[in-house]
Amino acid sequence: MRRIVVAFLLAALAAVAVPLVLPAYGVFMANMLLMYAVLALGLDVLLGLAGQFAFAHVAFFGLGVYVTALLGNRYGLSFPFPLLTGAAFAGVVAVLIAVPALRLRQVYLALTTYAFAAAAQWVFHSWDSVTEGSNGLRIATTNLAGWRIIDDNDAYPLMLAIALAMLLARLALERSRLGLRMAAVHESEPVALASGIDAKRIKIIAFGVSGVFAGVAGGMLPLFNSYVHPDTFGLETLVVVLTMVVVGGLGSVWGVLAGVLVMGALPEVMRDLQVFREIVYGALLILSVMFMPRGIAGLVRR
Amino acid sequence: MKIRSAWLAATLFLGLGGAAQAFPVGDPVGPYADPGITDKEIVIGLFGPQSGPLRNFGFDPQGAAQMWYDMVNKSGGIWGRKIRLVIEDDKCDPTTLNGVVRKLVTVDKVFLLNGGSCTPAAVSAQEYITREKVPMVMLNAAGDTALFPPTRYMFGAFGGTQLTVGGTMVDFIAKELKAKTLGYLGNDDDFGSANLAAAKYMAEQRGVKLVAVERVPVNIVDITTPMLRIRQANPDVVMITTYPQPATLAMQKVNEFGLTMPVVMAVQSIPNPAALVKNIGGTAAFKSFYYSSPLNDLTDGPRQQWVHDMYKAAFPDRTPTAFMAYGMPSAQAVTYALMLAGPNPTRESFVDAMSHLKFETGIMAGPIEFGPERRDGMNSSIFIKFDGTNAARMPGVFVNEYRGQK
Amino acid sequence: MGLIAQAVASGVVTGAVYALIALSLVMIYKSTDVINFAGGDLLMTGCYGALMVLAANAPFWVAAMVSVLGIAVIGAGFDRLVLDRIARHTRGQDIMVAMVTATIGLSYVLKGTIRALGYADEVRSLPPQFTGPPIMIGDVFLLRQDIGILACAALAGLILFLFFRFTRLGRGLRATAEDPRAAALIGIPIRRMRMLIWAIASAIAAFAGVLVAPKILMTPDMGGIVILAFAAGVIGGFTNFPGVVIGGILLGVIENLVGLFVSAQAIAVAPFLVIMLVLVLRPQGLFGGGALAIRKV
Repeated sequence: MRRIVVAFLLAALAAVAVPLVLPAYGVFMANMLLMYAVLALGLDVLLGLAGQFAFAHVAFFGLGVYVTALLGNRYGLSFPFPLLTGAAFAGVVAVLIAVPALRLRQVYLALTTYAFAAAAQWVFHSWDSVTEGSNGLRIATTNLAGWRIIDDNDAYPLMLAIALAMLLARLALERSRLGLRMAAVHESEPVALASGIDAKRIKIIAFGVSGVFAGVAGGMLPLFNSYVHPDTFGLETLVVVLTMVVVGGLGSVWGVLAGVLVMGALPEVMRDLQVFREIVYGALLILSVMFMPRGIAGLVRR
Repeated sequence: MKIRSAWLAATLFLGLGGAAQAFPVGDPVGPYADPGITDKEIVIGLFGPQSGPLRNFGFDPQGAAQMWYDMVNKSGGIWGRKIRLVIEDDKCDPTTLNGVVRKLVTVDKVFLLNGGSCTPAAVSAQEYITREKVPMVMLNAAGDTALFPPTRYMFGAFGGTQLTVGGTMVDFIAKELKAKTLGYLGNDDDFGSANLAAAKYMAEQRGVKLVAVERVPVNIVDITTPMLRIRQANPDVVMITTYPQPATLAMQKVNEFGLTMPVVMAVQSIPNPAALVKNIGGTAAFKSFYYSSPLNDLTDGPRQQWVHDMYKAAFPDRTPTAFMAYGMPSAQAVTYALMLAGPNPTRESFVDAMSHLKFETGIMAGPIEFGPERRDGMNSSIFIKFDGTNAARMPGVFVNEYRGQK
Repeated sequence: MGLIAQAVASGVVTGAVYALIALSLVMIYKSTDVINFAGGDLLMTGCYGALMVLAANAPFWVAAMVSVLGIAVIGAGFDRLVLDRIARHTRGQDIMVAMVTATIGLSYVLKGTIRALGYADEVRSLPPQFTGPPIMIGDVFLLRQDIGILACAALAGLILFLFFRFTRLGRGLRATAEDPRAAALIGIPIRRMRMLIWAIASAIAAFAGVLVAPKILMTPDMGGIVILAFAAGVIGGFTNFPGVVIGGILLGVIENLVGLFVSAQAIAVAPFLVIMLVLVLRPQGLFGGGALAIRKV
C-alpha cells in the first residue's frame, strides 16, 4: 500500500511541475492527454472491465462538450456546474440507449452503438441553430466563480484535478463490489448469472459509468479549447481512444494511462514521417493485438 | 500488482520529465520586443496539410509560399534580414493545428504565422492568436468564419472566400448567361452555407430566382434525388458548388439525364478538368459548361506561366496541382507588409501595414486588398468555358458584393 | 410519379452496390464471427490496384484479375498471419475486440499505403464494363453498367447461398463457425478453411470494387461505404445471403426516398437510424434465422 502512495506522490509531483517546466505547447499537449486519459479510462470501464463491446463513446463525449460549452456560453454558469450537467446528461443518455442495446449479442451491440454514435454526430453537424453545425462552435472562456480561465496554464490545474478525481473513481470502482461483479460478467456471463448476479443491471450501470466518464472528458474540452467542430466526434476519435485502451491493456488502469501517453506521443515522434502516419498507426494496432494481447500492461505484468 | 504499478507510475513520471527536456524554454532575444526577429533574420511559421486526406489543398500552395520566400532571401531579404521558415503539418485538423500553432509560437518563437489551407482548422486558432497578439496570415484557406466579422490579427482569403465564389458565380450567370432561374447544388457544411448565402444575395440583386436549392452530404453515394429535383424545376442554368466527388457524380447525372442548360461549376468542384471529363466518360455534357477561378488566367495560361516556371525551378520533381499558385499571394502580402512596416518591424506595425495593403499579385483575378475593417483579401473571379477538350477564358472579372449584409 | 420511379430504380442499383460489399462481410462473419471493418478498404485497394495495372496499358480483364487475386492474397495473408495468431494468444472474452481492432488497423494500413503511393484525393474512376446506350423503362433511365451491377449482386448472392448450403466445403465452413472444436474433432482443417474464406471474401470485395468504381467513383476514403454495407447486412439479417442482397436494395431505395421526400442532407443519417431501428425492433432483420442468434440469452 505504501508503494502505491509513494508512486502516486511522485507522479503527482511530476504532474504539478508540468506548467513550470514546459512552454504553452507542452501544457496544451498535457491538457489534451489528461482529457484523453479520462476518455480512455471511461471506454475501458465498458470494454475492459465489463467486457461490453460498445462504440457509442464519442457520442457521449460530444454530448458532454456541447452541453458544457452551451451552458457556459449562454448562461455564464461557473465551473463545475456545466461540466457536471454535461456528465450527468451523457450518463443518462448512455443508460437510455443501453437498455435496448444490451439485448443484442456482441457484434450487433457494436454495430448498433456505432450507428448511434454516427447518428449523434449527424445531429451535432445538422442542428446548427444549437451547435453552430459545421461552422464550429466558439466556446467562451470558462467562468470559475468570477475568475476566467484564459490559457492553458490556467486550465491545467483544473484539468489535472478532474483527471485525478476520475482516476481515483476508476480505481475505487475496480476494487468495489460493483467492479468485481462487472469483472465476473466479463469473465463469463452464464457463470455470473448462476452466482445470482443481475448481469443486465450490471451492464447497464457499466454503460452509464462509461457515459459519465465520457461526459466529464467532454466537459474538460471547453476548459482549454475555444472552438470545437463536429468532425471531432466521429470515427477518427473513436479509433484513437480505442487504440489507447487496446494498446495500453484492456482492464488495466495503469496500462490504459500508458496507452494514452504512447498514442499521444506518437504524432510528435512521427513529426517528420507524416506521409507514413496512417500506415504506422495501423501497423501499430495490428502488431499490438498480435503480440501484446494484454497491451503494455501485459508486458509489465510478466 | 502494487510493485508493478509503482514502477509504471515512476516510468510515467520519468517519461514526463524526459519529455520536458525536449522543450527548450527561452525569451525574445536582444533589443527586440517581439520574438522571432533579430538583426539577421525573421522567423515565420509556415504550416498547412502535408499529409492526410486534404493534403492536396495545402501541399503545393505551401511550396509556392516557400519558393517566394526563397526568392526574397536570394534578393537580399527584407530590411537586411533573411526569412527563416519553420514548416509544420496541420493535416487540416483543428486539434492538430491548435498544437502546431502553439508550438510555433511558444517553442519556435516565430515572429508571425503564415499558414492554414482549410477553413475549420484555420478558424480554430483565432482565439489563441488574438489573445497572444500573434499575426496570422492564412495561406489559401477561405476562412469565412474567421474573417467575418474581422478581427485584428487574422488575415486571409487570398483565393477568395466562399462568399466570393458563390456571389461571383451568380453574377456571371446573370450577366453573361442571362439566366432568370437557377438550380443550385451545394455542400451541407460551412463552406456550403457561406456559398449559398452569397448566391442568394446576388440572385436577389440581379433578379435571378433560385428555383431549386439542394444541399448534399459530403460523402453522398447516390446523387440521383437532388438532381431529379433540380431537373424537375427546369432552371435556365445549373450551378454546382460541391466538392469534387459529389460534383463528378452530379455531372454524371447531367450526362445521364441529357440536361442541355448551361452548367457552371465552382472552382473547388473541379480541381482537374481533364480528370472530370475522363470520369464522366465523354464530352457530351460539356457543350455549355463553365467554371470559376480565382486566378487571372487558365492554370496553364500565359499570365500564369511565370509562377509555373518558378515552381518548376524550385521543385523540379513535383507536378503542381491546380491550387499551387494560391500560396504565393499570401507570401507576397507578408513580404510587402514587412517592408512597409519599416526597418525594424514589430508584430503591431506589421499588422498595421497589412491593414492598409492593396496590391496586384500578377496571379489572382483581382487585387489583394485589406482595410481597417476588412480581413478577406481577394473578392474576384474569372470564368472559363470548357468544352471537354479546350478551355477558353471568358471576358471580364466578376466581383462579389455580398459581405454579410442582411 | 416519374420522380419516384427513377429514385426507386437508382436506389435499387445503389443498393446492389451495398449488397455486393455486404456479401463479402457476411461471408466472413458467417464463418469466423469477425466483423471486417476493412471490407471497404479491401475494395478500395482493389480499385486502385486495377487502376495501376491499367496505367501500365494492360487490358481491362488483366487489371481486374490482378486486382482480384492481389486482394485475395492480402485477405488470406491477413487471416493467416494476424487473425490466426490473435485467436490463439488472446483470452476468449477479449478476442472480439482484438479482431475488430486488427481489422481497423488493416483499414488504416491500406488507406495509408494508397495515399503514400501518391493517390491523394483526386477523384478517379475505372472504365465501365457494360457500355452502350442506356436502357429506358418507361420514364426510368438505367445505365447498362447499373443493370450489370444488379445482375452480379443477385448472382453472387445466389452462388454464395448455394455454396454454403449445398457444397461440402460450404457446410464445413458453417460447422467451423458454429462449433470450432467439434469441427476440428471431425477433422475439418479449420485454419485453412478460414484462410480460404478470407481469400474468397476479399476477392468478392475487389470484384465489387472494379464493377462499381465507375458508379460511385474512387478516392482513398471510399472504404467508408462499408458502414452502408453493414446496414444492408443488418436489414437483411446478417447470416443470410439472399436476404443481404434484398437488404442492400431496400437500403438504397430507402435512402433515395428519404432524399426525395425529406432532404438530401437527411440521407446521411438514414442508414444509421435503420441499423438502430432494425436491431432494436427486429434484430434478425428480414430474413435472418431466429432472434435468439442475435439476442443474448
